[in-house]
This record gives sequence, C-alpha cells and structure tokens, in this order.
Amino acid sequence: MRYDVEVAGRTRHLAVTRTGDTFAVTLDGRPYHVDAALIDAQTLSLVVDTVSRQSYETTLITDPVTGQLTVTVAGVAVPVALNGQRRFGRRDEGGGTGAAPQRLAASMPGKVVRVLVKTGDVVHARQPLVVVEAMKMENEMRASRDGMVAEVHAREGHSVEAGALLLVIQ
Amino acid sequence: MKKVLVANRGEIAVRVIRACREMGLSPVAVYSECDRDALHVRYADQALAIGPSPPRDSYLRIDRLLDAAKASGADAVHPGYGFLAENEAFAAAVQDAGLTFIGPSAAVIETMGSKTAARIAATQAGVPVVPGTAEPLDASVPEETIAALASSIGYPLLVKAVAGGGGKGMRTVTDPSELSSALRAARSEANAAFGDASVYLERRLTRPRHIEVQLLGDAYGTVVPFVERECSIQRRHQKVVEETPSLAVTPALREAMTAAAASVARAVGYTNAGTIEFLLDEDGRFYFLEMNTRLQVEHPITEMVSGVDLVRWQIRIARGDRLDLDPLALLRPKGHAIECRIYAEDPDNNFLPSPGRIRHLRAPAGPGMRDDSGAAAGLDVPIFYDPMISKLVAWAEDRPQAIARMRRALDEYLITGIRTTIPFFRWLLMQPAFESGAFDTTYLDRVLAARNGRPFVEPTPEIEDVAAIATAIMAATAGPSSTPSPSVWRGQARVEGLR
Repeated sequence: MRYDVEVAGRTRHLAVTRTGDTFAVTLDGRPYHVDAALIDAQTLSLVVDTVSRQSYETTLITDPVTGQLTVTVAGVAVPVALNGQRRFGRRDEGGGTGAAPQRLAASMPGKVVRVLVKTGDVVHARQPLVVVEAMKMENEMRASRDGMVAEVHAREGHSVEAGALLLVIQ
Repeated sequence: MKKVLVANRGEIAVRVIRACREMGLSPVAVYSECDRDALHVRYADQALAIGPSPPRDSYLRIDRLLDAAKASGADAVHPGYGFLAENEAFAAAVQDAGLTFIGPSAAVIETMGSKTAARIAATQAGVPVVPGTAEPLDASVPEETIAALASSIGYPLLVKAVAGGGGKGMRTVTDPSELSSALRAARSEANAAFGDASVYLERRLTRPRHIEVQLLGDAYGTVVPFVERECSIQRRHQKVVEETPSLAVTPALREAMTAAAASVARAVGYTNAGTIEFLLDEDGRFYFLEMNTRLQVEHPITEMVSGVDLVRWQIRIARGDRLDLDPLALLRPKGHAIECRIYAEDPDNNFLPSPGRIRHLRAPAGPGMRDDSGAAAGLDVPIFYDPMISKLVAWAEDRPQAIARMRRALDEYLITGIRTTIPFFRWLLMQPAFESGAFDTTYLDRVLAARNGRPFVEPTPEIEDVAAIATAIMAATAGPSSTPSPSVWRGQARVEGLR
C-alpha cells in the first residue's frame, strides 16, 4: 500500500508490503526491512535497518482537540500528516507581520482575569492586552504587532476554552 | 498518632502517604471533584470528597478539611506544601480541633510567613538581609509612595508578595515605567494565591545564586541543618532544577551558612521541617531571603545525600520524638543529587500549560533513580492546579555521574498525550554552563531569551525517517481503507492482527 506522510514540512512517499511480522518499506525509493511489534494501540516497537538493526520505540497519538497527529520516536515528538490529513493546532498569537490582523486566541482553557484594552485603542507590539489565569498562574497575552484594537471578545471573569477568540488587532 | 489526614493532592500527597504507610500509620486522602481518580486517592486507606475543583472550594477550605478529619477519625493532619501549608489559621484550627498539625506552630508560621517580619527576625539573629522595604505595603499605600521607596532602593528591584512563596506574586522591575504594571500583577496574583495583596520591595542582586538550607527542629530546642541545596536554575523565579551539594559552596561557607540558618530558626523557636533561603552574591557574601515553614518541593535531593527521611522526621517530631541525628554527619554529603521538576508545559510553545489526558507513562528506574510522581496513564492533568506532574531525582557518587544518570533517565521517561518539559531538560543538561556549574539565578531566563523559541529537541533525519515509517506501518495495519481518518489510531481491534 502507498502512503504520503508529511514530516517537518516535507512529503515522504512510502510503500508498505507486509510479510508476517516483517514489513518491506520503501521510503522515497530507499528500501527498509522493518520488524514491528505492537505494544499497545498506539505504540510500536520497530527494529529497522536504518544503520544496522536499530531499535526504536514509537507512539502515534491524535490530539483529541486539534486532531494533530504526533509520532514520538526516541522521546522526540514529531508532528506528521497522513495523506494530507491534518488539522493544525491553534496558536495564541497569530499575525505578527504586514497588514494581516492579529487574532488573539486563548492558548489554553482558563479564566479571563483582566481585559486591559478596549475597542479603538492603539496598541504597540509586546503591550499586554488580556490577562488569563490558568493553573494558578496569570499569563499576560501580548500584542505581536503595532495596531488598533478592532474587536474585543474577552470578558472579565468569564471562562474561556482553548482556541477561543479573545480580541482582534487591525 | 494512628491516622493522618493528608490535606493535599498530587505527588506530595502520595509522598506523605508513603511515609505514613512505612510508619504503620493509616493515611486518609481528600479530593476535589476532578481528583476522584487521582493516585493519592487510590493509595490511601480512606478518601473523602471536599468539594468542587477550584482550590478555594476544596483544598483551601479549612472547614471542609477539618470535617473530613473528624469524619475519618484522623488524629493528625499533614499539609504537604502549597495550599494551606503556610497558613497559620489552618495550623491553629487543626490544633484547636484537638488534632496534631504536622508542621511548625501557628505562631512561627505567622512570623516567618510574613516576608517582612521574617527579614526583621533574621536581622535580629545577626544574619544579613537583601536591602529593601522593612514594612509591608498593603493595597491602601498609594503608588506615588511606593515609587518614592523604589527610587530610594534603586533599580532593578523586585516587587514581592509579603505572603509569597513559590515565585508567585513576584515581578522584576528594571525601569520606573514598569513599576505600575508590576505592582498590579503582583498584587493581583498575591491576592489570588494567598488572599493578601500586600507587597514589599527588594533590591535585585545582579548575578546571585539561590542557595538554601534545610533544617529540622524538635520540640526540645534542637535544630539541625543539612547540606545546602543549589536552586539557581530558575525560570521566571520558579525553580526547575535543584542539586546538592552546591559547586559554589566551600566547606567554610557551608559552615557559615548552615550556622546562620540554624541561628535564625533557633531565634524564632522553630520546630519541624523548614528551609532558610539565601542569595549568594559573586563575592561569596550571603543574604537571608526568606524562610519556608514547610516541606520543600525539592526535599528529596537532601534525603538522597543525607539518607534521612524528612517526612518521617516531620511526623516523629510532631508526635514528640527527640531529634537524634548526628549533626556533623548531616553536613557531610554522601554523593550528589539532582532534581528535575517535570511540568505539564509545552517548552516549545513558551512553556504554556499543557493540561489533558496522559496516554502513556513509563517512568525511568534503575540505579540511583527516584521518581516522585502523582501522575499515571489514563489520568487527566487538571487545569486547576500547579502543572508539576513529577519530580525526577538522580543520585550518584559525584556530580558528573549524577548528570549522566539524569540524562539517561530523561531519555527513558515516556509520557504521551500531553506535552512535558522533558525535552527542555534534555537540552539543559547538555549545556556547558550547566556542566561546569557556572550559572546564577539569571542564567536560564537569559539563555532561553537568546534561543528565541527554537525547539529544544529537533528531530534528526533518521528520526524523521522512522516517524514516516511508523506512520505508514500503523496505517497499513489499521484497517482496510487506504485513506484512513485519524480516528483509526484509536481502534485497538483493527490493529490486533499486527503480531
């Protein structure tokens, strides 16, 4: 079977043929013999001839919120996409350059403690905009660019989910 | 003493429960709504619900904790650290209810809990303090007055919560224009964390080390200090790595610092476990910073090099036993110990909290390793509490070997489902400054700022190849569809045929 796997921004082409417990894999034309043992639903122990029978423990997890697929190899988490399927994780500080508006979103669930600006305010890069409390710490969310506050969605005292839009800077 | 209520959660509740078990005492757990399935509940003999998940509705409710103690028949209460551990009203209420509080007296908690009163106590004991304001500045003190005090102390300075601890309610101010926002943030955080918005100002030493001395004191006036702990590796005033002994402390300096710590403790009639924190400047002068009237997060490293179980001694002291440890032996470290605080934070996304469900967890083991953890596979890391999930401690005969052991353990540690600070520690322990010990409390924030958010562990081409291969093999064995949706990874049944 053929798969396209995107790793670190590069699409890799793979073909997999199974023979019992071993797999003949070609990765961008290079052949590998892979011995695979299923440890649990997400964990594979692989013995691969990358050099000479190298042993790797890998886990494959789908983030329940963002849908992002992540493979952990030797303790290194590598985001991947399979056959072009991936939903990107949401970030707290979008924008940053040019004229694109900054859409400030909550990066984690928490409570809005303070909203430091109002619609129409002129703000500067790095200026604190909203204070969100999560896990006992107050986190100042800052402007990533100079601009004007176009929309304020955050309300003091309200709880927000991860990804909730707090405000927009034009 | 027969039954101990542990008024805490997470790894420290588990730690105290373990000591109780080893002493033949019956441990009682308390839990908030989101902690019903937590490890400390499962390890205890009895477990009582104390309310909704926000701490102010459960772990900070003195009335509910006392009700739980009565309902369970507990005759003693261990506060752990954090929550009510340094709350004199809690210590007094426990005593008033006829129970034993496993910690110092309410009076001494009150004295040392006020950072300003503690500074006065240290000065009276002949121990130097960092220059700063003597009196607390409560919410009624006008900003202009504080600004005037600030310029007389000089910048850079720290705004610190009078009731503070654990880096909460603390802000650095390098320029007068930042004072107002720092005051607001420190007051608000202090009020939320400690119910007291009072702050004080303290000069910020330029390149200090944070060195602290663990003490035990019994009810008969005996106070014994332990070998110093080096806690200079801090991120935004929060300790992230601790070790003992410190490379910066000579035997003569150790003698002076431990003697100063003991004299402060004796001067205030301190009992049970406590820690005196010092700043050590570049010229080898040390200043009293504050006293923590409780068990510290980093107590395990002291236990590793002293061979003394501090929690066991807390309980023994509380029930009236005499300290019979050899004070000279306690000041001779047996080997070297390092602790990494593993947090549910994403180091590659500005260390933002990463709550969620832990899918896999396999802790390192083997020679010299200790993992004090409250986490397990299948458990959620809740958003309501401190995101520390484990304290990984390595002990070895000397420092280079302890570092090697910690690196090995960090490579073994497997946690999936949430992000943790493990990749950050793998990077940190490879830094030349960490290896040589040439660091101070400003080191970590400086190098982190200079890295500009670069990932701590970047995948090699080999790792990328294996990631692609693993993904394809999972897909090939996951089901008949050639374009599986991400949900197929969850289906155990579909991958049964693999082996």
